[in-house]
Amino acid sequence: MRLLALAALCAASAAQAAVTVPPEARGNALFDQANAAYLSGDTSRAVAGYEALLEEGLVSPELETNLGAAYLRQGKRGLAALHLERALFLDPSDDDARADLLEVRRGNVDKLEGEPDEGGAEAVSRVLAPLPGRAAAVALAALWSLGWALVALNVLRPRARLAGSAIACFVVAGAAALVTAGSAAAHRLTLHRAVVVAQAAAAHEGPSDRAASHFEVHEGTALRVEDEDQGFRRVKLANGLTGWVPSAAVELVVPRGWSDQRRL
Amino acid sequence: MSRRTGSAIAALLFASAALAAEEVQVSARTDANEVALDGTLNLQITATVSSKGDQADLTLPDLKDFDVVSRSQSEQVAFTFVNGSPTFRRTTVTTVKLAPRREGQLTIEPARVTYKGRTYTTQPIAIRALPAGQPAPPKARAQAPPPLPDPFGDDVALDPFQDMHPQSRDLVLRASVDRDRPFVGQQVTYSLYLLARVNVSGIDKLQLPRLDGFWSEEIEAPQQLMGEARIIDGVPYRAFLLRKRALFPLRPGKVQVEPAEVEVMTGFGMLFSRTSTRRASQPLAIDVQPLPETHKPAGFDAGNVGSWTLTASTDPVTVAVGQPVTFRLVAQGRGNVRNLALPKLGQIPGLRSYDATTTDKSTIEQGQVTGSRTVEQLLVPERTGAMEIPALSMDVFDPAQKAYRAVRTEPIRLEVHAAPAGAPAASQAIAQNLLGAGGLRPIRLRMTRASVDAPPWTREWFWPLLAAGPVAVAVVAGAGRLRRVLARDPAEERVKKARSAARARLRGAEELLREQRRGNASASDFHAEIARALTGYLADKQGIAAAGMTRDELGRALLDRGHPPGTVRAVLAVLDECDRARFAPGGADLPSQEARLERAERLLGELDKLRRSA
Repeated sequence: MRLLALAALCAASAAQAAVTVPPEARGNALFDQANAAYLSGDTSRAVAGYEALLEEGLVSPELETNLGAAYLRQGKRGLAALHLERALFLDPSDDDARADLLEVRRGNVDKLEGEPDEGGAEAVSRVLAPLPGRAAAVALAALWSLGWALVALNVLRPRARLAGSAIACFVVAGAAALVTAGSAAAHRLTLHRAVVVAQAAAAHEGPSDRAASHFEVHEGTALRVEDEDQGFRRVKLANGLTGWVPSAAVELVVPRGWSDQRRL
Repeated sequence: MSRRTGSAIAALLFASAALAAEEVQVSARTDANEVALDGTLNLQITATVSSKGDQADLTLPDLKDFDVVSRSQSEQVAFTFVNGSPTFRRTTVTTVKLAPRREGQLTIEPARVTYKGRTYTTQPIAIRALPAGQPAPPKARAQAPPPLPDPFGDDVALDPFQDMHPQSRDLVLRASVDRDRPFVGQQVTYSLYLLARVNVSGIDKLQLPRLDGFWSEEIEAPQQLMGEARIIDGVPYRAFLLRKRALFPLRPGKVQVEPAEVEVMTGFGMLFSRTSTRRASQPLAIDVQPLPETHKPAGFDAGNVGSWTLTASTDPVTVAVGQPVTFRLVAQGRGNVRNLALPKLGQIPGLRSYDATTTDKSTIEQGQVTGSRTVEQLLVPERTGAMEIPALSMDVFDPAQKAYRAVRTEPIRLEVHAAPAGAPAASQAIAQNLLGAGGLRPIRLRMTRASVDAPPWTREWFWPLLAAGPVAVAVVAGAGRLRRVLARDPAEERVKKARSAARARLRGAEELLREQRRGNASASDFHAEIARALTGYLADKQGIAAAGMTRDELGRALLDRGHPPGTVRAVLAVLDECDRARFAPGGADLPSQEARLERAERLLGELDKLRRSA
């Protein structure tokens, strides 16, 4: 279906252009056509178009937001939540994705009871996620190095009186280090974050269908992946409820292609 | 007059018009829609009016394509209870036997019925006339009088006198139902007839059975005994209808309907003796079928049985914000309207909804309970723009089709505009464009590429870069120190280290003293070490080469350096004692050696004190 839609969209754009178009322009044309399908109410075609762009390796917060909205219109709450989470990972300041995600969660089947596990680490990560971690890390490296360079100069030439500047650099570098640490913590939590995409999945006590199951999770519920084994993933809900679900039932918010996920 | 009051009056007028319309029911039908040129068909026109005395005037249509072969008319007056109130219904059935004049497609024009100055018409009926001699479908064969098809296309109703053999009895009370295997919620018509071969002057004390397990509704309760001739087992009887009730089974299973009883009076007036006889009907068994499970919709309400249609409307469809709109949902059809569960209108963003009111109307139409349930709900738009009241759907089980089907309304589009300027102050409070939060955000039309590179702190260069600064500073500082060490004057270095070197020697002497106690060292070694400590210090620190001087020269050198004479004498004394002890063994015991060590330490301090003050 996706391939057919991709082929149709490519053919349409090729017919319009009739010349070789650069990949970026072609991606924009496909995005426009998928948007037009969405706006005309043809969400199936819109989803096929957005998915085709993802298969081409395009990474864009707007693409993820629109795909999440299209899935939500189709009633596929799990996939909608997944792509809106990805949009927020790419752009934590995306208010539209955040609002749509709240809309998805309002309709979630699973309502968690009990205290949040691990002192609300997920909530903390949500707060820390918008921090400009990458810029802070670069600033930390630069200011830290500059501060030590000034110290070295001061050692070599004590009369230059560079100690004050060095201390100022270290103070600002300390602030940048705090931001970086917060952002790194949020990033580390996000790497383990996942969403249930199957309509319902039984959580077992072990990585096997034959293991006892005491609860089910339903599409759209966010959880944390802690381990993988034999086609199952060990997941933990925000209230600490833990079980093994089939790997296909949950999708990581940050796909393996986006980040180093070798250490789960 | 407020707009709401006006709406109420309009609703009342509409209701009264609807009531007037229900007073007269006119229908026309034929027993066939195809007829041979040499055959006949029966046209039956039924007019029912809700009146005891007034009659409806029937005007036959202009039958230009047909010849009227015969015409007959029958009339029946029935007393029924509708919604708890007594009603007379006069039904006139006119049967006309028609023969077609030509082949082809013919039309029976509408008949007209005039009642209380108003005219009601039937629907035109299309008839296909076949060539003469051509066998018409069995349904088109004219029999006199042919049984007309069930007006509702339902199951074939049971004959109330089927399997009845009164034998030689003159009076028989006969109870019957039109179907003995109904579905739950399907109408069963219970009839009670009195069959008589003698004159019946009246009845009394009619006792109907308890109808447990059914919802019942009166269809007919004749006030006068009107008999019709029936021949049963070759014996002529007069059949009097005493009661007719509609029963709606409430649960599946076998139900026994107990016998009815009545007291029948026979004979006439004073001349003939009047006798009273009590009669009881036979019990009836009804096997109520459960609704089929196959294709049963999820959440199906068991009360929704019958043939129903669902319509929705709003009045008005264009409205100012804050002004009320009446949403009306009507279910109409055949079945038990009181058990009907209508779909509910959910919350619609931008429309405030108030509690709904429900009105039921039930009527008897040709022996069948029909009716309507109307749900009215007041909606108040809270924002401007186009809104849509969604389609509503209701699943019903149609016993005639023996199948479930969904009846649904069409969505209704509502146009809401801003309240006109200068609207009354009272309505301005509600006439606001309330824009609530929520709902799906519009999609993004521009796309930006995002980087999913690993963050800097996970790169290989990040942590080494942070460590590089301190390491570099340490290297720089170390190099500077090394450079300073390498560039230092050895003489100056000796001066700086003179005291510590002298102390080190004294520690060595102390160690030798301990070794002496164990017998491993000699006193000469001890004194030599003390002498080296003092002379070494004087050489390194004071620049006095004591080893090559006499005691006098040393004393003068020390005095020249500014040392107090007492200190100088003490230094010389200690050196002398050491020389003596070294070269005259056995001359010094351990306590005197300890005292000498202490004096040497004190002297070093005194010598160094002068040096620091200098």
